[in-house]
Amino acid sequence: MKYLLVVLLGLLLGAAGAGATLYYNPFSAPAVGMPNATDRVLHYSLPDHVLAFALGDAARWFGQDTGDDSLWEDTIDRTGVLGLVLNDASNQPAAIASRLMAASSETDLLLRGVLLSDYWLVSIPGEGTLFMRADSNAWPFLKETLVPVWYFDRPWKGPSEYWPTVGPGAENNGVVVGVSGIFRGTEGSVVEHYELTAFDPARESALAEGELHLNLPGPQVAVQE
Amino acid sequence: MKMVLGLAVFVGFGGTLAGAHFVPWMSHARLPSHTSVVANGGRSEQFLIRLPADRIAATDAAAGGLRSMAGEGAMVLPAQFVAEPLLVEHFKVRDAVGSVVGVAARHWSASGSGATTTWSLLIPSRGAVILSAAGEERGALETALRASGYSPGSAWEGQVTVPMMSQDEVGTVAAGTGEFEGLGGSYTESWTVAGVDEVGQLNATVEINTITRRPQ
Repeated sequence: MKYLLVVLLGLLLGAAGAGATLYYNPFSAPAVGMPNATDRVLHYSLPDHVLAFALGDAARWFGQDTGDDSLWEDTIDRTGVLGLVLNDASNQPAAIASRLMAASSETDLLLRGVLLSDYWLVSIPGEGTLFMRADSNAWPFLKETLVPVWYFDRPWKGPSEYWPTVGPGAENNGVVVGVSGIFRGTEGSVVEHYELTAFDPARESALAEGELHLNLPGPQVAVQE
Repeated sequence: MKMVLGLAVFVGFGGTLAGAHFVPWMSHARLPSHTSVVANGGRSEQFLIRLPADRIAATDAAAGGLRSMAGEGAMVLPAQFVAEPLLVEHFKVRDAVGSVVGVAARHWSASGSGATTTWSLLIPSRGAVILSAAGEERGALETALRASGYSPGSAWEGQVTVPMMSQDEVGTVAAGTGEFEGLGGSYTESWTVAGVDEVGQLNATVEINTITRRPQ
């Protein structure tokens, strides 16, 4: 009996040590994609630019609302669907985006972080439609903001900014494929950036400003002003 | 006793790290794929959308006609886009036997060079596939329904199948990830409407028939 208690205590101590190691593990925040100076930048504000969102039941990590229509089925309960307006550099609406998100099976808490697979379909009226695929690491946001502020009631030290894109393209960028219009047949890269400007767990509210930095070859890409 | 404690700490530490590395924390439930091999090579697979149950959201502009949404749940477009020929729809997607297997976004837009339709189908356990085609004419569904006796504002029941591309055309598989990575192929899309209620809500089934193959 005494040995059993010692074993249990040892296992708990070991697991706690490993938990702390994982929490402060630098390998779970690998290199991220960074934009080029000539990228076209599309902006969004959360929640102002959200047209619609639906969230899977198992993706409600922090008790948030599941949105317009809950994705409750087992096969899609770790996904999210977001409709967004994207603004151009002059802050005028330029595009409508559908962002399909799923927890990534590539998630590796030891070496890669908490990964989300992002699939963007972006239609820019008068220009065409783009498909973007990006792996986004949510771990830095969870570790620096959500867990300490939400769970441990620590004061929020914001605003805080994040570059979540970690792949799957070259230089840790996301991948863009032109599907229709003037984009048809083009391929390029994308990097997402967002800044959390307000975060209040008591009111369950958060404000963020996001950017998609698109790098596409050819003259159709407008240089950021 | 000290050795037992040390060993237990080591096992607890190593086991937790191994679990963090090897356990598939974010795997998605997967149902059997209902695919068949077609005669000239490639894989045939059908996806279904049952309306109204599978509609997640749609934009509210006039371009969508009966397919756009009004009121709660509608994606309210900014004023700059209200007059644009643009319709964005979000759905749940089912396999050929009717089980929900994924989510999808459909973008329809028109420009001087014609209309285009793009689908993004995400099957979380398998990957995403992007489908692209010349888009249907604006109001294609309403035109077919009116020809079958439907009049706006009143309920209608019947059976009308509307292909979303002309008879000799097919769409293309434009891109894919996961299981669909590197695949080419084609698809067709049709909407079979069985009813419209007084407020314009569609009772319909969307069929997307894909044939995917690895380019030689």
